[in-house]
Amino acid sequence: MALWRLLTSLKTCAWAGLAFCVAGAVGSVLIGRYPVLFADMDSQVFAGWFARKGFADPAATSWLYGLLLATALLGVNAACCTFDRLVQIFRGTVTLHRLLPHVMHLAFLGVVLSHLVSAVYGDRIPGITVPQGGFAMVGGTGLAMRLDRFDAVMAPQGYPKDFSATVTLFRDRTPVARGVVRTNEPLFHEGYGIYIKNFGTMPLGIPYAVFDANRDPGAAAILAASLLFTAANLLYLFPTRRNDA
Amino acid sequence: MEGAHLILFWLALAAYGAEAGFRLANVATSSAWRSPVFAGVLLHAAFLGLRWGLSGHAPMTGLFESLTVFSFCCAFAGLILCGAGETDAAWKPLSILVLLPQIGAALIDKRMTPLVPALDTPWFASHVGLSFLGYGFFAAGLALGIVYLRAGGEAVYQAAGRSALYGFSAFSAGMVCGGIWAYYAWGSYWIWTPKEIWSVIVWIYFASLTHLKFIPAQEGWPGWTKRLEMGATAAGYGVVLLTFLGVSLLLRSSHSF
Repeated sequence: MALWRLLTSLKTCAWAGLAFCVAGAVGSVLIGRYPVLFADMDSQVFAGWFARKGFADPAATSWLYGLLLATALLGVNAACCTFDRLVQIFRGTVTLHRLLPHVMHLAFLGVVLSHLVSAVYGDRIPGITVPQGGFAMVGGTGLAMRLDRFDAVMAPQGYPKDFSATVTLFRDRTPVARGVVRTNEPLFHEGYGIYIKNFGTMPLGIPYAVFDANRDPGAAAILAASLLFTAANLLYLFPTRRNDA
Repeated sequence: MEGAHLILFWLALAAYGAEAGFRLANVATSSAWRSPVFAGVLLHAAFLGLRWGLSGHAPMTGLFESLTVFSFCCAFAGLILCGAGETDAAWKPLSILVLLPQIGAALIDKRMTPLVPALDTPWFASHVGLSFLGYGFFAAGLALGIVYLRAGGEAVYQAAGRSALYGFSAFSAGMVCGGIWAYYAWGSYWIWTPKEIWSVIVWIYFASLTHLKFIPAQEGWPGWTKRLEMGATAAGYGVVLLTFLGVSLLLRSSHSF
């Protein structure tokens, strides 16, 4: 019973939030202080990176343990709070306004759990360099990518105003997807997003483009949960009585 | 026209300066809606709208535009939360919080810069705009928190609570837009940079703050009172400033100006 009170308590939420803020603040400094350690953090999924570096250098990554523990505690606290309050709400008067904070809790849990899925089962294939007319394998996916055409519109000042790549994806020599990839407009296929990151010209004058291929299996669920959170949050702003959460 | 639109910027600055001067001299109007700051907000909105039209993109790129939008959002949030009555006293500190970023913007290069391809998306304007709107409400929270700590007042307490709630809501929506943008632009809705980490710190801080309001007195939170809550609301602005400016100036982050 004491444990349940602890898990449903607003004080637990406050202390976990404080722990998260402290751990994050420490981490934001350590990321800059240990650039070699943290440089490849975004070029692979978090679970793989943490398994390799989190345990190898626990001192410099101790803030991540703090972040993970605080996030887990916030998630458990939100889940227990919502379960506890929903029982009370459904025994009494059910109103949308009383439910909305718990919709936000559930959406928050959805984001955290979906992010966990992406952090474990996602994939990052950075730096796929393909010359125009050439091919490159997309990591270990079995897909091959051909850069059919690369276009760049340069401003007089020399910076790129726009650049795009027409690519075709092959599996077993059979084209399976074709599209134009530009900044903010990736090509999606088999759960992977193909993103153009850079471009240049090879010594013989042939243009090339550099791509990342990323897979985030939790992304759609995170989007849905985030939109649910936002909708519930906005609805919560309108009614006048807010003291019944 | 490109230079002329800056006249509106300077007029807004003058209006904000007049507001701060009047407030510091204790020459107050009957309501914020009849004050120089209201004229300043109208001029400022016209400036931002004109600059948006001239540049062809949301005026939120670079330090100049970020500072002036920050100032505008502080003034706008103040008008919503501190319109009249007891809350009007918050304009004394808030007028300074509106004026300072506008002065900062006045001191730096104001030329319009071309948009890099990654920023050429509606998600950019929605992410930055909503985030700054949240910052504006948090600035109003600082002003209201100061007024409550000095003079009390239930209306001020309620308005400060709304500042945290409204700011949290706008900031949350901004984070969602930022996540969608990042997913399409860079291939991941999350990257490990100090800016992102501090953004989540701001979110968690104000999420916790909006929860603390519901701690019942009998639960015995040690020393947790309305005054402490107002102190935490005011201190939240420090977290916001660290996120907005501190990370860019003190820490290495790809997500900076």
